[in-house]
Amino acid sequence: MSDEQVSNVSRGEMLKSLREMHAASVEQTQALLREQKQMQQSICQIIRETPKTVPEIAAEIGKPSHEVLWYIAAFKKYGIVVETGKCGDYPLYQRAKETQA
Amino acid sequence: MENFNVDTLVIGGGIAGMQAALDLADQGFQTALVDHEPTIGGKMITLSKVFPTLDCCSCITTPKMSSVAHHPNIQLLTYCDLQSIQESDSGFRVAIVQKPRYVDAHKCTGCRKCEYECPILIPNPYDRGLGAYHAIRVPFSTAVPQTAVLDMDNCILCGKCEKVCPTQAVTFTQKPETFEVQTRTIVLASGFELTPLEAKKEYGGGLLHNVIDPLMMERFLAPTGPYGRVLRPGDGKEPTSIAYVQCAGSRDQSLGVEYCSRVCCMYAIKQAMLISGALPMAEITIYYMDIRTFGKGYEQFYQNAQAMGVEFIRGKVAAIHEDDQQNPVVKVELTEDGRVVERTHDLVVLSLGMVPSPGSAGILELPLGDDKFISVPAPNARPCHTTRPGIFVTGTAMGPMDIVDSIISASSAAAATSAYIRAHQNGQASPKPQEEAVYA
Repeated sequence: MSDEQVSNVSRGEMLKSLREMHAASVEQTQALLREQKQMQQSICQIIRETPKTVPEIAAEIGKPSHEVLWYIAAFKKYGIVVETGKCGDYPLYQRAKETQA
Repeated sequence: MENFNVDTLVIGGGIAGMQAALDLADQGFQTALVDHEPTIGGKMITLSKVFPTLDCCSCITTPKMSSVAHHPNIQLLTYCDLQSIQESDSGFRVAIVQKPRYVDAHKCTGCRKCEYECPILIPNPYDRGLGAYHAIRVPFSTAVPQTAVLDMDNCILCGKCEKVCPTQAVTFTQKPETFEVQTRTIVLASGFELTPLEAKKEYGGGLLHNVIDPLMMERFLAPTGPYGRVLRPGDGKEPTSIAYVQCAGSRDQSLGVEYCSRVCCMYAIKQAMLISGALPMAEITIYYMDIRTFGKGYEQFYQNAQAMGVEFIRGKVAAIHEDDQQNPVVKVELTEDGRVVERTHDLVVLSLGMVPSPGSAGILELPLGDDKFISVPAPNARPCHTTRPGIFVTGTAMGPMDIVDSIISASSAAAATSAYIRAHQNGQASPKPQEEAVYA
């Protein structure tokens, strides 16, 4: 085995033992991650082609609008969605082009 | 971290702590500044603008943060907790715990590649939970130091951050480290917290999404805020009618906060003016009992707000409930004619008061006043001296005050600390307190 392979093995073991040490919080966070991934998928699918407001997105995915807004704010911050205009008093959000993300 | 000696240990890296540290360091005193957060800047770095000048808060705070970090006489200790304090012959021996960042601070360049790679989103406390950041992140773009910190409680240990780090700075095995600082003096600048949003159940704070606290509104008004504009958190609507409820966390026996917090009138007026600029069509109403504009230029500021069309209604808000469109409905008894009316708004800001930050007072064994802030036995003669010689207090750790007064208080604490150190260097006793009555 090369030095790099040896270090990869020890790194993997180290992460494994740390995961065991923090088992409770890791399990909880993995559940959170699954939920977040699902939300991201649902939201991005809805606004991939057509920009929508937060209440519209919330109605389509059946989640509370304040929760959707939290995700939209996070996705906007990290370049996953962009604001594209307004519909009445509500800003419209759309999935950013992959190059923008 | 190795043990070291300083002339002064400043506890708290908000505006008061930074100012005190800079004043002392500029006089040549070796100073350490300790903060429990991963960055200094305190509450002020999260604000939009200051009253009454409407200067940008970040433009005032960021250079001070940078000066603290680069000052040759200041040792900056972020993400540290005080563990214990013992009096010694030459001052105090303070045990401090460096909490693990799981990132080697010497290697991290603040490039944020780890942050962009991390899959977990968590509520960002610098945005009052209304925005998000990743489990590993640099707290915000102007954080000092620009060093990432990993939240192990929200980490799945996927190792992506470690893999992507160009300087191999991520170290999952970091442990808390305890070290000691021997100091002649201590300046306590531990700051304040807002009264809890949910404290007055009848106002719906914490339950109604469109009833918010003033620091949330500060974030909406700041260019780095969670939405990049003013939106109501319930559904992302741009509000066209915004109300402020004054004395929502002060002057209230039922909350145990009987004092006036001194800043609520002014921050509400300031925010109203800033909203007028950001949303020119919005109607802004301030429900108040009294307006207290006591500082230099404050009364003029109040009059300017009135001239800009901000509506001031004297009355006492009894309750807030929500209609079926998530609009808060304010029930208010008008002082003028005693009528009780209900008015509907898009967004309501509760002007919450100030309570002391929990923390260091207990470890320092300092007595508290009736208001739970640090007791200052001779506030007129020696405004920054505590009951323990060598320990000084400044800023909102001693009572509610605004930014102007916090900075004045910090320089006052630095002057008192400097005098104390010099007197002890020369083998003199601490200067005797002047009689309170002389100045009262």
